[in-house]
Amino acid sequence: MTEVASHHAPAPQTSTVTDLTLVSNRSAIDAAVRPAVVSLFLSGVAWLLLSTLFAAAVAVKLHFPSFLNWSFLSFGRLAPAADAAFVYGWCSTACLGVAVWIIARLSGRAAPGTSLVSFGALLWNGGVLIGVLSILLGNQRPFNGLEFPLAAFIVMFAGLCLVSVWLAITYYSDSTPSLSVMFVSGGVAWLGWSLLTGNLLVASHSVTGVVQQLAATWVSSGALWLWIVPVILGIAYFLVPKVTGQPVFSGPLGRSLFWLYFVTAGVISASRLSGGPVPLWLSSIAASGCILLLVPVLGTVYNLFATAKGATVTTASPSMRFVLFGLSVLGVATVLSAISSLRAVDYSVHYTLFDNGLRALLLRGAASMVLFGAIYYIMPRLSGCEWLSSSLISLHFLGSAYGGCMGAAMLILSGLASGSALNDADSNFSQVLELGNSYYWGHTMSFVLLLGGYFLFAMHFLLMAVRIGQPAGEPTLLNSHHEH
Amino acid sequence: MSRSGSFFTGLFACFALSFGVAVLAPHYQIGTLIPSFKEEDGVISDVYPTAPGGNAANGRSVYISEGCQACHSQVVRGSESADIERGWGVRRTVARDYIFELPPVLGSTRLGPDLANVGSDKWRNEPELDKVRPSKRDSAWQFLHLYHPTAVVKGSNMPSYAHLFEKRKVSGHASLDALKLPVDLAPERGFEIIPTADAKALVAYLSSLNRSSPLKEAGAVAAVAPSKK
Repeated sequence: MTEVASHHAPAPQTSTVTDLTLVSNRSAIDAAVRPAVVSLFLSGVAWLLLSTLFAAAVAVKLHFPSFLNWSFLSFGRLAPAADAAFVYGWCSTACLGVAVWIIARLSGRAAPGTSLVSFGALLWNGGVLIGVLSILLGNQRPFNGLEFPLAAFIVMFAGLCLVSVWLAITYYSDSTPSLSVMFVSGGVAWLGWSLLTGNLLVASHSVTGVVQQLAATWVSSGALWLWIVPVILGIAYFLVPKVTGQPVFSGPLGRSLFWLYFVTAGVISASRLSGGPVPLWLSSIAASGCILLLVPVLGTVYNLFATAKGATVTTASPSMRFVLFGLSVLGVATVLSAISSLRAVDYSVHYTLFDNGLRALLLRGAASMVLFGAIYYIMPRLSGCEWLSSSLISLHFLGSAYGGCMGAAMLILSGLASGSALNDADSNFSQVLELGNSYYWGHTMSFVLLLGGYFLFAMHFLLMAVRIGQPAGEPTLLNSHHEH
Repeated sequence: MSRSGSFFTGLFACFALSFGVAVLAPHYQIGTLIPSFKEEDGVISDVYPTAPGGNAANGRSVYISEGCQACHSQVVRGSESADIERGWGVRRTVARDYIFELPPVLGSTRLGPDLANVGSDKWRNEPELDKVRPSKRDSAWQFLHLYHPTAVVKGSNMPSYAHLFEKRKVSGHASLDALKLPVDLAPERGFEIIPTADAKALVAYLSSLNRSSPLKEAGAVAAVAPSKK
């Protein structure tokens, strides 16, 4: 059934799950998971706005160091707080919300006790809040991407356990799991495993010195490549066939690429430490992994585009526009990651803002766009009405797509410019910085677009959450000229 | 085994492989290193590195708390980079340099210079013959740099860490710790700017950073950091 032709029955106001009986009706599943999924999305959107405001202030600080220079908002605290709030606040809560909905829908049932998920979401968000406040108040760890103190991760892990228990009870498959389920459940399993193992190792001092950094980088790299990216690929494998009404181009190819992806993405973490005090063989494996990763990522993107090929709905469906754009950016980011892992390039761009640009491209240009696409698809089914305005969706797309890519491109260009000078001892260090400075204005301006787009989305989402929208049955399409 | 069981078994194998390659194997290679030392006639000398202590250890906590690692690395790369030529060190840093660091502060971005050896007399961030190169970066220089970076580094992009200092009314004699500020930054008459305990600890830590001791695995040590200029 395509999105165009689908009819969404208004969701019942109360859950039909009252005992251990599992429900099989789609609208009943939607009704059962609605409170949990909406609360995860809602908190995610709040983190999206807050972290982007933080990141905008950080962008201004790059060229005006004295901007908002109070101790709790200093660059060294605000930058990691913004990044962590984006990864663990927005991306992760939205991924968890999507995981709950997709696993329930594809399992054809929703286990009782969705309040367990809601409580888990509360704990997860509480942990993120503790983490962000701790960083701002000066209690952070010196690991890029793992700055939250242990206490924050303990609370987050407890929340994740509750959500995972519900997912495990709900999960059902009498045949080979679908590609969507494989990617989503693989991502959730990785998140729990890496948060537990990595934090235990670092906090218990079971590993010391450089190995602590390796363990922390393993967790933070995995949060991106083995948690968020697999979930967005799982979303794409769910949405593209659903919306276009066409089967996955090649299931066997998709499964082969899944395993290749999880093997290679698991060994690339040390690429961010190459040239440093880590074993040379580890840097070589990580660099090779970054290049090999091109095969599963580009192959999966091809598989999904081939699935969508020929379908007319791809230009009109909001979810398809966001998802296909995000997948394209994912492909570009993976190519850039592979190029930057080459030894000669790495020596030039390492320690510059190139890495930050690549991370922004993955998080804002790829992951966020696919997550927006998922929310545009899921919310009408949970709220029983359609999105109010296609214009708002279009503006959101323009702001987040252009803003995300422009900001990332500015950081990448800044990194390339300053990197070549950094590796030339004839350039004074202040000259190195000046070469990168010229791109900071463009980076800051990108946040005007991002904040505008994200704010419109947040407003639209809030209306949808309280069931204010167009009547169910006629999906809001981007080429539709009538708006109610 | 069901198909789902096979799937999750395969998934766990991927996770185990990742953990084994990225964490466990390096731990067995570099996670159990001990300090290097010389032994002659049963006498042990030249032990390096040693566990940090005193106020420098407190300063390390301040460094992490303020997020200095967001802009400064503490890693000197080998001859394929320009790190040594820049004067940031006399040799590349290796895993043994960090064995007492819990946690290590390697950093990932260089919006400021590398600080792996900032406490060494040989450390510099400008070409050797640069006219604006400070004659020395002693504690007084570090305090002034933290309080108002552009006062000592023209065009510096580092924010002021004035919150690590307090403005105090002079009672009797001026404090020995009071910053010697240029006129345009000096407080009004009768007041002085004093570093807090955190600022003192931070400067003690920065002054202690010196990873110049020779280590066999780090290769040759340049007597003085070379410069093309």
